Amino acid sequence: MITVIAIDALEYTLVEEFNMRNLKQDYYGRTDISEFSEPRTMVLWSSFMTGENREAEILAKGDKEMWNTRIPHEETFFSHFKNPFVLDLPGYNYDLEQHRRERELLKEFFEEKDEERKREVRRKYNENAFAHHRRVKERFFEALEGDYDFVLGYFSVADVIGHLNFGNRSLMKMIYRDLDDIVSRVEGKKIVLSDHGMKAVGAFGDHSDYGFWSTNFRDLGRPRITDFKRIVLQEALGE
Amino acid sequence: MEREHLKLVIVGHVDHGKSTLIGRLFYDTDSLPREKLEEVRQICEALGRELEFAFVMDHLEEERSQGITIDTAQTFFKTAKRDYVIIDAPGHREFTKNMITGASQAEAAILIVDVSEGVQEQTRRHAYILSMLGLKQVIVVLNKMDLVGYSEEVFEKVRGHTLDFLKRIGINPTYVIPISAREGDNVASRSERMPWYTGPTILEALDTFKKTERRDGGPLRFAVQDVYNIEGKRIIVGRVEAGTLRRGDKIVILPTGERTRVKSIEEFMREGVEEAPPGKSTGITLEDKLFVDRGQILCRLEEETPKMVSEVKGSIFWMSSEPLQVGESVIFKCSTQEAPCRVEAIERRIDSSTLEVIEESSSRLENREVGEVTLSFASPVIVEDFNVTPELGRFVIEKEGNISGGGIITRLEG
Repeated sequence: MITVIAIDALEYTLVEEFNMRNLKQDYYGRTDISEFSEPRTMVLWSSFMTGENREAEILAKGDKEMWNTRIPHEETFFSHFKNPFVLDLPGYNYDLEQHRRERELLKEFFEEKDEERKREVRRKYNENAFAHHRRVKERFFEALEGDYDFVLGYFSVADVIGHLNFGNRSLMKMIYRDLDDIVSRVEGKKIVLSDHGMKAVGAFGDHSDYGFWSTNFRDLGRPRITDFKRIVLQEALGE
Repeated sequence: MEREHLKLVIVGHVDHGKSTLIGRLFYDTDSLPREKLEEVRQICEALGRELEFAFVMDHLEEERSQGITIDTAQTFFKTAKRDYVIIDAPGHREFTKNMITGASQAEAAILIVDVSEGVQEQTRRHAYILSMLGLKQVIVVLNKMDLVGYSEEVFEKVRGHTLDFLKRIGINPTYVIPISAREGDNVASRSERMPWYTGPTILEALDTFKKTERRDGGPLRFAVQDVYNIEGKRIIVGRVEAGTLRRGDKIVILPTGERTRVKSIEEFMREGVEEAPPGKSTGITLEDKLFVDRGQILCRLEEETPKMVSEVKGSIFWMSSEPLQVGESVIFKCSTQEAPCRVEAIERRIDSSTLEVIEESSSRLENREVGEVTLSFASPVIVEDFNVTPELGRFVIEKEGNISGGGIITRLEG
């Protein structure tokens, strides 16, 4: 049994600064995503689950259609498991409506000129993201009790909230602490993995060009996101 | 009249609940700004969790680290008797410096131990620093009693182990209190879940402690930080490390030995200031135009002045993976003085967690070890025995640009 806690936009330097010990586990570092032209969520997770660089294929879908990517189960390494549980992962089974709503509010926020209304849109945006986070957490903890041979939980809160609130460090720290707490509740072998990190652009956040990894079983050096298929299968199934 | 305040340091293993205890002390004494608390409560709710004090402390720390709020109310909590100032902000990066300077200013200490884990290596190290600094008013709190079902048996067992260890380093705590910082048991109010415990709560225990800091602060020690020329006035900025500085004081400048008088005490937007109490950072002007520079110490002429020495002996607590070695040169920092020095000898090298004497005489001091170290200076430094004037008796050592150890001066030579 191995658990992957997939966290969108978990930033290496913040994990260090906030000294989040559970997120760091015993071994941690940055991932190398330099093979990709840009740190794009959909591209990175699709490449993660297949163990192949899927950038060209995803980008060919265009900006809109890209978000509807659903990679067939048999093309992912999840299919090597008898009874896997994968929660809300982009490119596989994430809640399309939820993430569409997030992008819509984000767009609305940047298009809105009136400061008062802007604040209101941000409030809605945050509320929507937090409500989703609470649901995902609940289902993830249920899954940990279940009879699965592989569990992956995908948490988007650091990315979604970060985009509009990265300058609010105390809010970001509380989110990191919540994620840290989630990791602490997982037993057995576990990997924490982010697609990319986040860097400040004024009060906002943009993707940084490396991801974060940590394990409680061995040092992975500076892995590429496509290496995780091999790492997970080796650790869980000895393949 | 200004309320009395007592300086308190809270030490212990990083996972044993320090932040939660600080949060709880603030919360239960109503010392937290309400709107801040409300903000944190809302975020906790958004994340689907109960309000936790660790989150409250995160919030305050982040604001402080960004300099958003320099609100003294946040570092204080109040009881009916007095105010308490917590000097050791949790999560501080400059850990060593903080422990030495923080704990050496403290008048009382709380040593926190997770009752379900007992004394850990870090607990031992922190306790060792308290003992090195000679802190006498110590409360041991055994935290997380909720995790052991508020069991008297568990408490007694861990209490026994803890007291055994503390006895070996000469600490005899005034109280050992079973608490749950998270639930609030025995912090500000008596726990109904531990009827077997009849001693005081943390606040009651703290209120029995005495103020140890001298009110007038003893002989004057004014450490010069900088000199500014503002509108034709030559203002010497520094900190009253000890004693009380008064306008008109006859003073002597060390190390030059030149004498003059304090012409004025300069404070922003205030006229005719007559005195500056111990701990105050302020500006002054002098009657005569003399050479004054950072690192110098101004003393009152009629009082005993500190020694200028070219060799000191001190207990050093080393906290760096790079060892301290005999024969090497490092930077000695004491008050505003910074001086290169040479490590002459290291004696009584001790492992701070096992208390085992590794060597009576050694060529090095490794991470987390304590030793009696002799340091020599090319030009004399102005220092004092820690037990006489703690402000000029504590120091830190910088090696290759990093604060790597700290200690107290135990003997002056040459």
